[in-house]
Amino acid sequence: MMRLPKFDFHEPATLDEALQMMGEFGVRAKLIAGGTDLMVNMKHQLMSPEQVVSISRMDELKGLDTSNGMVRIGACFTVADLAESEEVGKKLGALRTGAKALGSPLIRNLATIGGNIGTARPAADLPPSLMAYGAKVVLKKRSGERAVSLNNFFKGPGLTELQPDEILTEIQIPTPPPHAGAGYINLGIRMAQDCNLVNVASFIAMDGPDGVITSARIVMGCVGPIHLRAPSAEKCLIGEKPSESLFAKAGDAATGDCTPIDDFRGAAAYKKAMTGVLTKRTLGIAHKEAVS
Amino acid sequence: MKKKLISLTINDKAYEVAVEPNQTLVDLLRYDLGLTGTKKGCELGDCGSCTVIMDGKPVNSCLVLAMQANGRHVTTIEGVETDEGLHPIQKSFVEKGAIQCGFCSSGMILSGKALLERNPNPDEADIRKAISGNLCRCTGYQKIVEAIKELGT
Repeated sequence: MMRLPKFDFHEPATLDEALQMMGEFGVRAKLIAGGTDLMVNMKHQLMSPEQVVSISRMDELKGLDTSNGMVRIGACFTVADLAESEEVGKKLGALRTGAKALGSPLIRNLATIGGNIGTARPAADLPPSLMAYGAKVVLKKRSGERAVSLNNFFKGPGLTELQPDEILTEIQIPTPPPHAGAGYINLGIRMAQDCNLVNVASFIAMDGPDGVITSARIVMGCVGPIHLRAPSAEKCLIGEKPSESLFAKAGDAATGDCTPIDDFRGAAAYKKAMTGVLTKRTLGIAHKEAVS
Repeated sequence: MKKKLISLTINDKAYEVAVEPNQTLVDLLRYDLGLTGTKKGCELGDCGSCTVIMDGKPVNSCLVLAMQANGRHVTTIEGVETDEGLHPIQKSFVEKGAIQCGFCSSGMILSGKALLERNPNPDEADIRKAISGNLCRCTGYQKIVEAIKELGT
């Protein structure tokens, strides 16, 4: 039998109250929302917080707002709700694809978007597309709040910019402009319930339906200590007309932008090669969406 | 670490129980309330044998703290049977030979039931996706898929 460490459990009624608790407890506390990561880490004795503060019931962290050119998603919005949301699918198709690929239906019903970001697993399914869309996260504490680009949020496996007295409350994603699109593909051994081998999200924006690419963001997971951007792949797209051969070239460039390691899931050389393939394919999906 | 009184509804019956902060929902069900139809397999959210339906959604009860279940409506395998006997999905599992050792059956039936409530006529791909968090080591899944498909409209 797997035992949980001993801790005190708190369920503050409001976000203000939760912020006060996190300010007071600091590193001795862990937040719990869906619990799909924290519970496993506590059972493995990898984490043993003295205090567990639940935010899973806070309606103010469960909103979805798509007005004013921005999609705002509350940190406790569940992955199942993301996967089912037509609105998310219409505006942020790649994010929805990632949500559908995460864990299993049982996990998705508990897991939250905030948790998938905050736990900072390099193989996580939601950060690549969120970074590709240019998302920011809102970090709140008692004395104020700040918005941090997801690009600068991750510091290492399990490590982030989030301070012990802060709570990640909201994800803000600019609504993609016309003639823009994004794609996400995750490669694993199984169709469900496994850790990704490689996952890639690509975003491109063009200056017209037959135009050239004006901006590009490619994000690679599982091939570094954090989710990595592919700067040389992005660079070779700018100012060019989308084509199969251009996307193949970008894919080749991406293999030079990633730094995978050999592990039991796969060889570094294989992951590198697959990073190239997934970059090319996700660019294809992004282009199809951009011209539709 | 203090025990706290929580109230929740399990299989349409109201319960008031004192639980430890580090007690999981599956342990509350099995050890405090004697509802041993909910199984414990991996205890890490990988196998799905502890599946229960909480507020209409199937979840791994090994990943839910008992205190997080305060005020919730929970259905376990014991609550699936009706006054008229076995629920149609339970009958279908028996008739199609979808139960072998039985350890995954509670979770499979609850995941299947939750799917049918959302989608009354699922195709094979829908069914395989819906039970993708429930592992079975006996049947090879085919008979389980058939048992759920049988109930489609």
